[in-house]
Amino acid sequence: MRLRLLLFAFAIGLLTSRAAAQQGGTVAPQGGRGAAPAAPATYPPYTRPVSAFVPPRTPDGQPDISGLYVAIPLPRNVETPLVPLANRAPNRANSEFSYSLNERPKLPEGAMARPAGVDPADGTIPLTPEALAKRKEIIANQEKVEYLDGRVLCLAPGIPRSTIPAPVVGYQIFQKPGYVVIFYEQSHLYRTIPLDGRPALDPNIRKAMGVSRGHWEGNVLVVEVTNFTTNFDNNWVIGAISATPGVPAESLATGHGIPHSDRYRVTERYTPIDASTIHYEAKISDEKVFTQPWTVAWYAFARAPKDYVPVEYACFEGNEKNLMLMTNTDISGIRVSVP
Amino acid sequence: MKRPVIVTAGVPTILLVIGLVAAAQAQRGANPLRTPAAAAVSAYNGPRTPDGKPDLNGIWQVLGTAHWNLEAHSAIEGVPAGLSLVEGGAIPYQPWALAKRNENFQNRLTADPLRKCYLPGVPRATYLPFPFEITQMPKHIGIAYEFAHATRTIFLDGTPHLEDLDFWMGDARGRWDGDTLVVDTVSLGDQTWFDQAGNFHSDALRVVERFAAIDASHINYEVTLEDSKVFTRPWKISMIVYRRLEKNLELLDYECAEHVYQKLLKKPGSGN
Repeated sequence: MRLRLLLFAFAIGLLTSRAAAQQGGTVAPQGGRGAAPAAPATYPPYTRPVSAFVPPRTPDGQPDISGLYVAIPLPRNVETPLVPLANRAPNRANSEFSYSLNERPKLPEGAMARPAGVDPADGTIPLTPEALAKRKEIIANQEKVEYLDGRVLCLAPGIPRSTIPAPVVGYQIFQKPGYVVIFYEQSHLYRTIPLDGRPALDPNIRKAMGVSRGHWEGNVLVVEVTNFTTNFDNNWVIGAISATPGVPAESLATGHGIPHSDRYRVTERYTPIDASTIHYEAKISDEKVFTQPWTVAWYAFARAPKDYVPVEYACFEGNEKNLMLMTNTDISGIRVSVP
Repeated sequence: MKRPVIVTAGVPTILLVIGLVAAAQAQRGANPLRTPAAAAVSAYNGPRTPDGKPDLNGIWQVLGTAHWNLEAHSAIEGVPAGLSLVEGGAIPYQPWALAKRNENFQNRLTADPLRKCYLPGVPRATYLPFPFEITQMPKHIGIAYEFAHATRTIFLDGTPHLEDLDFWMGDARGRWDGDTLVVDTVSLGDQTWFDQAGNFHSDALRVVERFAAIDASHINYEVTLEDSKVFTRPWKISMIVYRRLEKNLELLDYECAEHVYQKLLKKPGSGN
């Protein structure tokens, strides 16, 4: 029963998202990042947190960060990291549908949303003029399935979008000798991260969640992610779940409409802050889309309450009616070959 | 579970005792969670995890024809012939269910949920022609499947089954019986098939899998399937799961849903 409620909640959220995306697209200021509103004073220059916490060790000597986690909501007064405060709608909570319409997940006692960090500090994504134009085209055409947010299509949201709080926000971190494995409750996504220094895969091999290569720097897990799929313009790897009316098109909150190129790569840093908190940083570069690398970081993972059990979120299986409703697209008759 | 016939006439008492024990074990087998103690005896001498269990970490795959048809079948277009994986040969369908299965078979090219890129369910996920990766920890075992990035988390810490929920991949709880990982999966819904031949189940399905490590690279995979709405009795399948030994192997993508959209949008590679 709870699952059905959750699915319903997600559908509502997606509709909200679409409406907001369209609204955001129409009111967004035109022009490149120079034309974006002035940066709010609340964005201090991003400095990486220094953590003195030493996690216990796994049997093979890795810092042990394994376990069940839930997402820490992004700070409510920030909306998402790159949204200037002046442009957000009043009192609009992040992921309101996920935290009010259903009972889970509950943030554990003591976990708190803390300020996010961004670089560049003016809170805009350094899009090239071409990428900005493409983004406006995409946001203006959200009623068409070929432009619709890939997450609404139940395509894998990629990195770092899979770590941005969404309606289904549990994570499970496994560790085994030579590997860290992350299961995302959202759309049963997963990543296997080898730690043995092997090279990335042949560039002809693409994965929706990218190809991950990790190593430990002290107690910090550093992961290089490359080889992302470019199958669709819908594969947007950043963006919050719902767009916010009135925020500029460059901001992460409208988030939507930035297809990456084959050059897209992310460097993630997972920093254990204490026994129950992991700070997340993603440095993003793609010279075909961004004029410079940029970084977003926040306190992302809180250890889940003791009774927390992740549930299956089968996104695609329940999406036919949603797509019909949103884009008048009927996929119910499509069959594909399987081996 | 059929009770074994015990012939006592002219048999020494000791054999009678053995026979009775066997009968008792067979009865307990009807509740697959209560396994005969004899199963704890294992010849496994492969690597072990720090907590002493057979080390199942790694990438595995089933070879064979189970994903086409669990039962014995001759070749048809595009489908190799195969022996039955079902103990006793045939799946013990109730009459109406056998008719339904036969109808499914006739309609399989459109009716198989896999052709809509829906999650494959259990145990079908195991024997799809795709690798899967096991990550083994003392309290949780994660299985990541290459097909449609399906996952399962098997709880070994006593967490009870959830109620009032259906999952495409079921709700899995496990325990170690000696060197055998026993996984009890319920809440599988009624939407998945067992193979491309239309073998199916209802929402009453209970799946008990036994992953018995034979050596470092082989697992004997035995599954008991119980569904009183569809079958006349519980039944079993078994097959070997092979470790993929290629150096630097890793799971790649089979993003089935992407193929649906490629077909819809007539993108290259969609076959349109």
